[in-house]
Amino acid sequence: MFKKVLIANRGEIAVRIIRACREMGIETVAVCSEPDRNALHAMLADHTICIGPAQSSESYLNIGRIISATITSGADAIHPGFGFLSEDSKFARICERCNIAFIGPTSDMIAASGNKAQAKKTMMDAGVPTIPGSAVAVNTVKEGLELADIATYPVMIKASLGGGGKGMRVARSKDVFEQAFLTAQTEAKNAFGDDMMYIEHYVEHPKHIEVQILADKFGNVVHLGERDCSIQRNHQKLIEETPCAALSEELRKEICEAAVRAAKAVNYENAGTVEFLLEPSGKFYFMEMNTRIQVEHPITEWVTGIDLIKEQIRIAAGEPLSFTQDDIKITGHSIEVRINAEDPEHKFRPCPGKIEMAYLPGGKGVRVDSAVYSGLEIPPYYDSMLAKLSVWAKDREEAIRKARTALGEVIITGVKTNVDYQYGILSEPDFIEGKTDIDFIEKHSHK
Amino acid sequence: MELRYLFKKTQTDDIEPEKKAASEAPQTPQGLFQKCDACGQTIFAEELRKDLFVCPTCGNYFRMFASTRIADIIDKGTFEEWDTDIGETNPLNTPGYEDKIRRLQDKTELDEAIVTGKGLINGHPSCIGVMDCRFMMASMGSVVGEKITRMFERATDEGLPVIIFTASGGARMQEGIVSLMQMAKTSAAIKRHSDKGLLYITVLTDPTTGGVTASFAMLGDIILAEPGALIGFAGPRVIEQTIGQKLPEGFQRSEFLLEHGFVDAVVARKGMKKYISNILKLHENNGEYSFDGVKAKKKTARKNKLSAWDKVMISRGKDRPVAQDYIKSLFPDFVEFHGDRFVKDDQAIMGGIATFAGRAVTVIAESKGHDTKQNVERNFGMPSPDGYRKALRLMKQAEKFGRPVICLIDTPGAYCGLEAEERGQGEAIARNLYELSSLKVPVLSIIISEAGSGGALALGVSDKVWMLENAIYAILSPEGYASILWKDSKRAPEAAAEMKLTAEDMLSLGIVEKVITEPEELTHANLSEVTDQIASDLAGFIKDNLEFDGDALCEERYNRYRKYGA
Repeated sequence: MFKKVLIANRGEIAVRIIRACREMGIETVAVCSEPDRNALHAMLADHTICIGPAQSSESYLNIGRIISATITSGADAIHPGFGFLSEDSKFARICERCNIAFIGPTSDMIAASGNKAQAKKTMMDAGVPTIPGSAVAVNTVKEGLELADIATYPVMIKASLGGGGKGMRVARSKDVFEQAFLTAQTEAKNAFGDDMMYIEHYVEHPKHIEVQILADKFGNVVHLGERDCSIQRNHQKLIEETPCAALSEELRKEICEAAVRAAKAVNYENAGTVEFLLEPSGKFYFMEMNTRIQVEHPITEWVTGIDLIKEQIRIAAGEPLSFTQDDIKITGHSIEVRINAEDPEHKFRPCPGKIEMAYLPGGKGVRVDSAVYSGLEIPPYYDSMLAKLSVWAKDREEAIRKARTALGEVIITGVKTNVDYQYGILSEPDFIEGKTDIDFIEKHSHK
Repeated sequence: MELRYLFKKTQTDDIEPEKKAASEAPQTPQGLFQKCDACGQTIFAEELRKDLFVCPTCGNYFRMFASTRIADIIDKGTFEEWDTDIGETNPLNTPGYEDKIRRLQDKTELDEAIVTGKGLINGHPSCIGVMDCRFMMASMGSVVGEKITRMFERATDEGLPVIIFTASGGARMQEGIVSLMQMAKTSAAIKRHSDKGLLYITVLTDPTTGGVTASFAMLGDIILAEPGALIGFAGPRVIEQTIGQKLPEGFQRSEFLLEHGFVDAVVARKGMKKYISNILKLHENNGEYSFDGVKAKKKTARKNKLSAWDKVMISRGKDRPVAQDYIKSLFPDFVEFHGDRFVKDDQAIMGGIATFAGRAVTVIAESKGHDTKQNVERNFGMPSPDGYRKALRLMKQAEKFGRPVICLIDTPGAYCGLEAEERGQGEAIARNLYELSSLKVPVLSIIISEAGSGGALALGVSDKVWMLENAIYAILSPEGYASILWKDSKRAPEAAAEMKLTAEDMLSLGIVEKVITEPEELTHANLSEVTDQIASDLAGFIKDNLEFDGDALCEERYNRYRKYGA
């Protein structure tokens, strides 16, 4: 086991990792940027090294400084948390070269997952369903129609050099394909100077379902059930829950087993998440594999009783998994709500500033992962997440009530937060009834 | 009291962790990171290798080992190294010199400061020499000179092109006068190689100085340079000490040499292999004649009702396509070469090589701009002597490699200015007329808009001259004509009619062979109507000259001009 772990991150995830290490008797080294000297993680760790100025590129993303902090502090492992360098294959590679254990998968796995086209092909070969569509780009209606038939309608037509919604059209059936294709192509040509188009199946009103995976260095892979992260705003998750209310036992088994196959296909190790899109029809498609711990990992911890961070550390230290798939039992229901320093009334712009007072709830089945305290100055340079509130109850209905109750007790003054906005979602009849998909926020945004 | 002092910290169990061997403890292995001299950033060495030793932060070019360079340029598994066993020499018996060489050989795994051999570059066979600065600053001693000379001799025998990546501090002090003689020896070998009509490309990398610059580095048919490389004869420190002045920023760098006409192109390392293999391809000239362009519809001649003055105005029109537009359309694989090798790269003339109908051709054009900014850069299409000398250099290059020359003429006239006179504008034009008259390859000139006087003729002593319908060709501008003869430049429209400067006039005077019809109003949008005709006629010209006799061409060209006038 490691003697000392350096945490290459900040905020609540750094605090979460310090706590796990402390419970395991492992010494901790925090790194911080200059404005983060008084951040909770910097004060909580056994040792703290300031590694540079505010800009992430000079501190939390600066590989050279993090490596030298690790070596000078005598740490033997780095936990990268999420964000920052957590999915940087170069960083993982450098750790490997420096005999520093990177608490996560190997650099090659990170690189392989980062290459979307290659990852999709690997998954197809492993029998994991992927979105049907073109591996090649085309520029004539005739070729497009052929591909659309393979992809099955509705299809998305998008510019091969695309971005920002330009050169994108949905064709719901064969008879409108030509017009949609030509419009998208003209747009693409004007915007990017290129008329090559991709055609793929358009997944309509899907749920975002992801499966938590744990894999050790000995080829043992287990799943810890799914998470439903459909409540998103601009691809940012707001509320996550597990289990997903819409899954039948058979479908759950099918998706989770596909995730295990996906992990095995890349010889994965450590904690990872396989993301899928689930159509109302029950068809699901692989999107990508996240090769790190996720923000929303606490809800999986609630329903499985497994400490994911500790498992990550054990796996990285070379220990085999201490449980099998059969040992994992999902009990009850858990919901997580992200609390951000942002202003919902002004396009959710971040609201850094000084926390005058913070009162955070507790009680049975309530967990708060946070790095805020009264008097803390929130710097404007980083992510705006202040806290994660997660609850556990025996079923979904009670979990929603508990989440609302706890959220109602959250008091943070000094900066604007999205607490009331989140409270509104938890009270929304469609949410309570489980009528959620990734368009939920857009659909309800007029309220 | 701060929170940090209130929290209770980790209690570790007193179990000794397993003792690791020192080599397994966390540490930064030697060479894992490299520091960029330019920006000071530490760079992960693996990443730097992947980026071909270009700093990902600031774009600074690191010096490359010869082995890495060869791996980058030569197709995998095709490199055959030559002459590694020449052995050291110590002609002046310099004490300690042999030891130094041996130490360096051990340290660098090189036998001397240059690696030579042969291999394929994207399938094109070539000899290659790569200098390596780690070996006594890649100075040229007798072994370096010998390896280069042998490479050229072998390339001459085998009919192969040569590419040298130069980098050197210059002559090797320890070998004194014998080192100096290597400059003469290598240059002589290059001359023999060149006389066989073989191609030599140099790529100047940081730093290329002294006796190497003053010999084989500057003798390439095509001279390329990596961005930002120091290139010069005397080193900057020596110059500063001699003249007692601080040298300006960028002095003696690749871009400075490009601007001053000594480098054909500055090429990024990343695209270097493709760039070189493309040039090799253009010089192999084994392409069969194949023209798959549009067969231009024969236009029925319509009556052009425009007056001579109308045509003058049209030919000067702001929206009229310029030479670059024709090149883009007719020669999509055009590679531009810069510089006169004397003073400057004059952008009023652009030149380079391309393929047309499967054949390599040299294209030289007088080049106006599309807007004011471009026009300032290109001096409104009025070439300086440097421009004409660049054109002549490229014509002579075409002659060496036996490829036709296509000239596009569009100039109000040769530049009239102080520097132009200082550098011999008259001499430069005269030299082109003289040399073109006996250039032993086919020459075709196309007047696309304005052909002003001697400035136009300098690219127009050709086997065939064609002209666009609304282009003009004259001894001077109508304004000039009116003010000389009538002391009133406002009478230019009248002068235009009197001067006989239209395409129709040129055809009837026998000055041009062909008039290319234009759409009602020629713009970028309908340029293809003109370029399709040119392409089709040009294909005919190329086809007629698939096999040519240089002397016969010169004879005909002589007679073509002999017949004008009395």
